[in-house]
Amino acid sequence: MSAVAAKPQAGGAMNPAAMAVGVVMLIILVGIGYAISPGLGLTALIGIIIGGVLIGFGTHFVPVGGAPAAMGQAPGIATGVAMLAAGAGLAGLFGGAWAAEQGLVVATVTGGVGGGLLMAITCMMVNFVYVFGMGIPSASGKVAKDPITGDTQAEFKSQGTEGHGLPFISFVGGVIGGFLGGAGVTLIYVQLLELYEASLPAMMGLPPAQVVPIAVAAAGMFAVGLFLVNAVLTAYNITGTIEGPHDPKFKRWPRAIVASAVASAMCGLVAILIVVPM
Amino acid sequence: MSVKVEVIEGGTPHNTILITGLLGTIVCLYLTYLNVLTNTEVFAFFGGLAAIIALIWGSHTIKVLCSYGIGTGVPSAGMIAFGSGVIAMLFATKFDILAPIVALVLAAVIGFILGYISNNILNMKIPAMVQALTEMAAVGALSLMGFAALITGGFTFEGLTTGTVSMLGMTISSNQISFIGGGLIAVAFLLGAIAIQHPFNATLGPGWRQDRMLMLTAECGFLSMIVAAVMSFALISAGSAMLSLIIAIAGWAYTYNQYIDLSKRDAAAWLDAKPIPEMEGH
Repeated sequence: MSAVAAKPQAGGAMNPAAMAVGVVMLIILVGIGYAISPGLGLTALIGIIIGGVLIGFGTHFVPVGGAPAAMGQAPGIATGVAMLAAGAGLAGLFGGAWAAEQGLVVATVTGGVGGGLLMAITCMMVNFVYVFGMGIPSASGKVAKDPITGDTQAEFKSQGTEGHGLPFISFVGGVIGGFLGGAGVTLIYVQLLELYEASLPAMMGLPPAQVVPIAVAAAGMFAVGLFLVNAVLTAYNITGTIEGPHDPKFKRWPRAIVASAVASAMCGLVAILIVVPM
Repeated sequence: MSVKVEVIEGGTPHNTILITGLLGTIVCLYLTYLNVLTNTEVFAFFGGLAAIIALIWGSHTIKVLCSYGIGTGVPSAGMIAFGSGVIAMLFATKFDILAPIVALVLAAVIGFILGYISNNILNMKIPAMVQALTEMAAVGALSLMGFAALITGGFTFEGLTTGTVSMLGMTISSNQISFIGGGLIAVAFLLGAIAIQHPFNATLGPGWRQDRMLMLTAECGFLSMIVAAVMSFALISAGSAMLSLIIAIAGWAYTYNQYIDLSKRDAAAWLDAKPIPEMEGH
């Protein structure tokens, strides 16, 4: 069997039993979080779960083209989910971390703007390269008309391809995805930072000012780790490539919501346990 | 049910690599504990060796997983390995001498659940998924712990969060100059993630050979170890850091030559081409 024919056949089908197991696991993990740290820890855990779900949902919007896009045979940005999402998430985290002192809402929105900005710049430069470098127009292969502009796609699409370039809807999807991803990772970071700044001084027996570097670095690393876990799980959900919110694969998002919630709850619980005295 | 895209057999079986890698990593990590017993820092280089052994094991796991054509690219496997590994590793450092064991067990639990999520909730249905993600998380956690031991000489939370800074002849304890507080962990994270994802990505295809890929992993690992050894000058004594650096450079030079030899062996034909001569007046 050739590698082309052997695409993963994960398909769009839901697995209700596994989804139910996932929800039960989520409830158990939140319950453990409540048992070990009912106040600050539980708040942080819920924030982490919401952040993780935002990342998982947001990644579905990002037009990931993969290797076919690099050859102009499929629409999207010509790299994998892990790279794109990591770029948007880290840009969001860098943006949001600066604003961490200004409260949760300001920081989260700033993080979202950072991630959205990175995706906007990436999408624009990608289209420059596609149009002026490779000489191909932007056309989607999945829809007949662009859902936002109403432009028809078929006459611009080359035969034998699934479309190429970055149509307007994909561009918009990329910016939305970057915004959600950046906001999610900043939410995780801010929640963990508050938790660590409150509990590390007592745990390590140090004045609060001295633990700040540790709190910042540990919260940042946990946020990056959680982000990558959620982004890669979403990549598995869409089996690598997606055109944007108009792609039929987008309808698989409920699976990713459950998956991201469980994964974030589990990893978040470990991140909270680090400051729980045992 | 996914179809296995690449059916390349031969070489050492995966289970042998798994067991050897696991034992080698744990033993090397515990050898760095000699630092505490003998009150020196010269054994820090064992941390780098632990990381390299774990990376070799991990790159073969990536091969097992990605030969099913998961569709997301090989680097994503390296990213999820270290993303889940760093969480287990940071928590495990709280357990002093038990840290490597706790990191291994906790990472395996996290990886197992992630594998269940991918295979069942996300409907991937790839036979090797659960075992591979379990191994990958363990590899991520252990190789990060190896880099931590290489850079700081230890793997305890205390050691990773405190450092000393000399100012006007006085030595002051500081949390800013430390593996976690100084953000060195982020560099170690990416050094490991790049080293684990590159080898299979670079050698996959019909001409894949196990020994060539594993040699490339060792080469990437030593390359990362060189950078980590340079960073360790900030946190451990210059002599110990120099020893790590010399071992890393020697190991890199050896594995690089070996890798070039193996590449020439597997190439259809090769010749020592000269660079294009620069013409005058063009």
